[in-house]
Amino acid sequence: MDVNEAVDEEEFGFSRNYFLAKELRGSAKKSGGKLSDLKLVDEQELRDATSKLETKHEKEIVALMESYKSQYYQWAFELRCGFGLLMYGFGSKKALIEDFASTALTEYGVVVINGYLQSINLKHVVIAMAEILSDQLKLKRKSQQPFSSKSLDDLLIFLDGSHMKESDCFVCVVIHNIDGPGLRELETQQILSRLASCSYVRIVASIDHVNAPLLWDKKMVHTQFNWSWYHVPTFAPYKVEGVFFPLILASGGTAQNAKTALIVLQSLTPNAQSVFKVLAEHQVAHPDEEGMPVNDLYTICRERFLVSSQITLNSHLTEFKDHDLVKTRRHADGQDCLYIPLTSEALEKLLQEIG
Amino acid sequence: MTPSATPDSPLPPSSPTANNENNLQPFFVLHKPIPKKSSRKAPQSAKTRRKIDLSTETHKFNKSEGVKQVEQIVDDHLYQQLRVEAFDIIWSKIEITIKEVLRGININVFNEIHQWVRKSFAAIRSTAGTLNSAQLTCPYPLTIDIDCKKIFTGLVFTKNVEFVDDLLTFNDLSLHLKSQGCHVVNLSSLDFSAKSGISACIWSLLRQFVMVDPDVADITILASWYNEPDNFNNPLVVIIDDMERCNGSVLSEFILMLSEWVIKLPVILVMGVATTIDAPRILLPARALHYLEPCKFALGSPAERLDAIVEAVILGTNFGFDIGYKVAVFLRNYFLRQDGTVTSFIKTVKIACAKHFVKEPLSFLCRGLLDEDCHDFLLQKCVLLPESMREYAFSLPSCEGLDKTTPLTGESLASGISEIVKLKKNWSSVFMCLYEAAKFQKKQVVDVLCEALDPDAYRTRGSLQRRVGEVIAKSHSVDPYSATKGSFIFQVIRKVRDLPMKQLCQLLQVWEKHSEEIAELHEKVKELQSLLKSEEENNGGQADVAVLSKRLATRSYMNIQRDKGKVYDKAALLLESMIRDYLKPIECVPFHEIICFKDVDILQSALVGDPRRMIQVDLLKSHKVLLCSCCTKGGNVLLPSMHDTSIMYTLAQEHGDLINLHDWFKNFKSTIVRPCTNAKGKMRSPSSKKRKHSIEPEDLTDALVQARFCRAVIELQITGLLKMPNKRRPDYVQRVAFGL
Repeated sequence: MDVNEAVDEEEFGFSRNYFLAKELRGSAKKSGGKLSDLKLVDEQELRDATSKLETKHEKEIVALMESYKSQYYQWAFELRCGFGLLMYGFGSKKALIEDFASTALTEYGVVVINGYLQSINLKHVVIAMAEILSDQLKLKRKSQQPFSSKSLDDLLIFLDGSHMKESDCFVCVVIHNIDGPGLRELETQQILSRLASCSYVRIVASIDHVNAPLLWDKKMVHTQFNWSWYHVPTFAPYKVEGVFFPLILASGGTAQNAKTALIVLQSLTPNAQSVFKVLAEHQVAHPDEEGMPVNDLYTICRERFLVSSQITLNSHLTEFKDHDLVKTRRHADGQDCLYIPLTSEALEKLLQEIG
Repeated sequence: MTPSATPDSPLPPSSPTANNENNLQPFFVLHKPIPKKSSRKAPQSAKTRRKIDLSTETHKFNKSEGVKQVEQIVDDHLYQQLRVEAFDIIWSKIEITIKEVLRGININVFNEIHQWVRKSFAAIRSTAGTLNSAQLTCPYPLTIDIDCKKIFTGLVFTKNVEFVDDLLTFNDLSLHLKSQGCHVVNLSSLDFSAKSGISACIWSLLRQFVMVDPDVADITILASWYNEPDNFNNPLVVIIDDMERCNGSVLSEFILMLSEWVIKLPVILVMGVATTIDAPRILLPARALHYLEPCKFALGSPAERLDAIVEAVILGTNFGFDIGYKVAVFLRNYFLRQDGTVTSFIKTVKIACAKHFVKEPLSFLCRGLLDEDCHDFLLQKCVLLPESMREYAFSLPSCEGLDKTTPLTGESLASGISEIVKLKKNWSSVFMCLYEAAKFQKKQVVDVLCEALDPDAYRTRGSLQRRVGEVIAKSHSVDPYSATKGSFIFQVIRKVRDLPMKQLCQLLQVWEKHSEEIAELHEKVKELQSLLKSEEENNGGQADVAVLSKRLATRSYMNIQRDKGKVYDKAALLLESMIRDYLKPIECVPFHEIICFKDVDILQSALVGDPRRMIQVDLLKSHKVLLCSCCTKGGNVLLPSMHDTSIMYTLAQEHGDLINLHDWFKNFKSTIVRPCTNAKGKMRSPSSKKRKHSIEPEDLTDALVQARFCRAVIELQITGLLKMPNKRRPDYVQRVAFGL
């Protein structure tokens, strides 16, 4: 009974904290301070400073990593038993896992996936693993088709072959941030779980997101990944993992928006740039209007031989909208108007730049 | 495309250039396997071990013991290998047993399904009998009457909310049907997804039936394969393990397609249904339902399966591995309150087993316990044990109660362990007797098991039994078990006195079987049986109602009842004495640590990681993990020396669900530029923060503070504890977690 009560209490605590937090927003801390009020340094300077940041507690972090070394034997043992290792806890676990793999798993081939990157082609990974395995099993593949021309299913079937010769033969796949942006899709996780359940494959993965377990259902957790969890906080800085995250104090401000807009515009065709210019000039000339009606834009663009039909204009507009260069809003009289979400000054500067 | 390291020299992760390159590759080969060379491998691994242990366990040894230590570590490596082997053998035995148990539970349903498959196949064939051979072998579906297009469909009710348990069941079913000659394929809901449409399931069919991977998903390939004489005489069974998770329209399309072909391709569907009979009606449109000819089957419930596994694994054969009370309670609670799947139960037992063999230095001895005559094995191994290991064995906590005169030799260790095996055997027999009695009260085996394994309950039971004995000696009118409320075991003992005669006979019969190994007990059970028999004979067996009613009024009936009461008392007393003498939990026996896994915390943390809580704890109590001297003394006060992200997350706790970036930055800045001597605590008034600006150390430039702020925000973003500002609220980030 007391366990139940504890669970109830915990749940109550959750909801209470949540509502308290909501309340707090309404009353106490409503300072309404703006980022623009801060004296922010130039983006380049900020980036330079970020790249030069020193790590606090470096000595302790090294000691912490060293202390995990005594567990390497245990980790390798569990991998052999058919478990997947899932490392979690605050701090980058990249160095730790790679150190583990290169000291305790030398007998096995190890492939590392950097899950923190945006796009990962899993088929290439599986091909690499299949090649390692076939070398390991010393299979003669002359008559067979090369792995790169096989389907993913076939590759997985190859990796899931029955252990005839050696029971202790597998390829290990290390996945840094299995919860990373490039691997979060359900379909990708399903492929990974199928890969993990192959008899010749063992998996060591790390997660950093607090909600990472939501990626998996019970089938994946208990039968395919077969996780054995390890809490291994390292407090090591997320240097590589954080490379693609924007710096929060650099992305704000009008200057930044105009700069991004310019970069996007420069990559577009001259015609598209001219269409944008028409719209921008209109907005600068009529700063108080809701925006420019689509029909007006079309008429002007046609007159200037920028577009030949509504379809061409629409394709330009879609491009603009995709990059947040242009937005639509409803005019008071009901028709849709196009506008550029930049201030007049930023717009003028932008016009000068593309002009 | 594939970057690879040189095969013979794995790149150390520390080499910076290679690392930087690899860090931005989607994937890379860290190293290829270094071929095993026994001459090279052993010293190398021993060396690794040595290095590791020296770094972590130096405090345990003096430097002068260095040589000894190295020897020990080399030995250790050898024993590690032995433990790995022991685990392999023991776990494979347990696994095989579990599989057999699960198959045994389902075998009746499987047979039923097989008979139905054969009957359905015969029905299809009889319809097909009306067609001529040209029609049967033509490579396209026939236009026939709708009644002939019915697909026989077995709906297997799994009684499971989670389908993960059923995967194994349906695999077993598939093997069973294959062994009976049927052609079987297993499809899952992944084959019926809207994205890939019907072609995915046809591909799956072809891949599994015909074993080809065609370019086009064409059912005619299957038809021509089936027309081959080897294949023609058996039904095609398609098992879909989780019907409710399939995409309805794809499944219905699949059914419509099969119905066209059913005469030529006698496909029989078997679909797992987790909910109710309405499930197909909810999922499928009427036009598809129309073609189904359903038949119902039901599998056992997860609780039944669990009971069977527990009986076989924990109580049955001796596997040389056991679990302690706390682990048993954890297993039960995890199953009942959290998970409810047998799959995760099995996984938990496996983790427990693996952890035991990793952690317990002497666990390699367990391997010998599988044999009937384990003493010789143990003796051989224990005598050869190095001194340090023997010392370790005798310093186990369970050996405290050991007789002081016991010599600390390999022989006494071996006999100690064989004693455990013997005790466990008797324990299991008596537990089965107890459980058989508990079955009459519909008690779950795990509940009784947990109590039987509890060493504390064992001790209190001893004292209670003495009290009960005293009460019985004093007076018969008082219920002697009234003081024992809450104990399952005493409830069972008490209920034995209330059993009807027939059930008592049954119980004694089962006891007779279970007590075969314990001669003394067996004798007593037999005695009781003969006593019961003579009672019955004296009273003319089961007295019929008329005689009974006559006797009811007479004095002799009262006597009979009293005599009968004596038999019941004796049965209850027998059970009680069995429990007292033999149901000694394994945790009360010396050396039990060698075969018994007790560390529930390790098990729990390996089974269910709790990233949401633990990552927050890491951040809020970073000094406890880092064990640095600079931050530990601060207590709850934020110190500038603390990890930046840790400071930021602690500051975030003071905000509501939205954090104003401006304020947060100011707070952060004032925390990290504050001189240590002036640290007051985290609750500080805004005015004092402003003042701190003036005493900002020079080396902490604006850019540096902002960079540290940015990095901390990125790290919090990676952990998912923050949501970034959106366009509507550009100056706020959102907190995600509230409380641990």
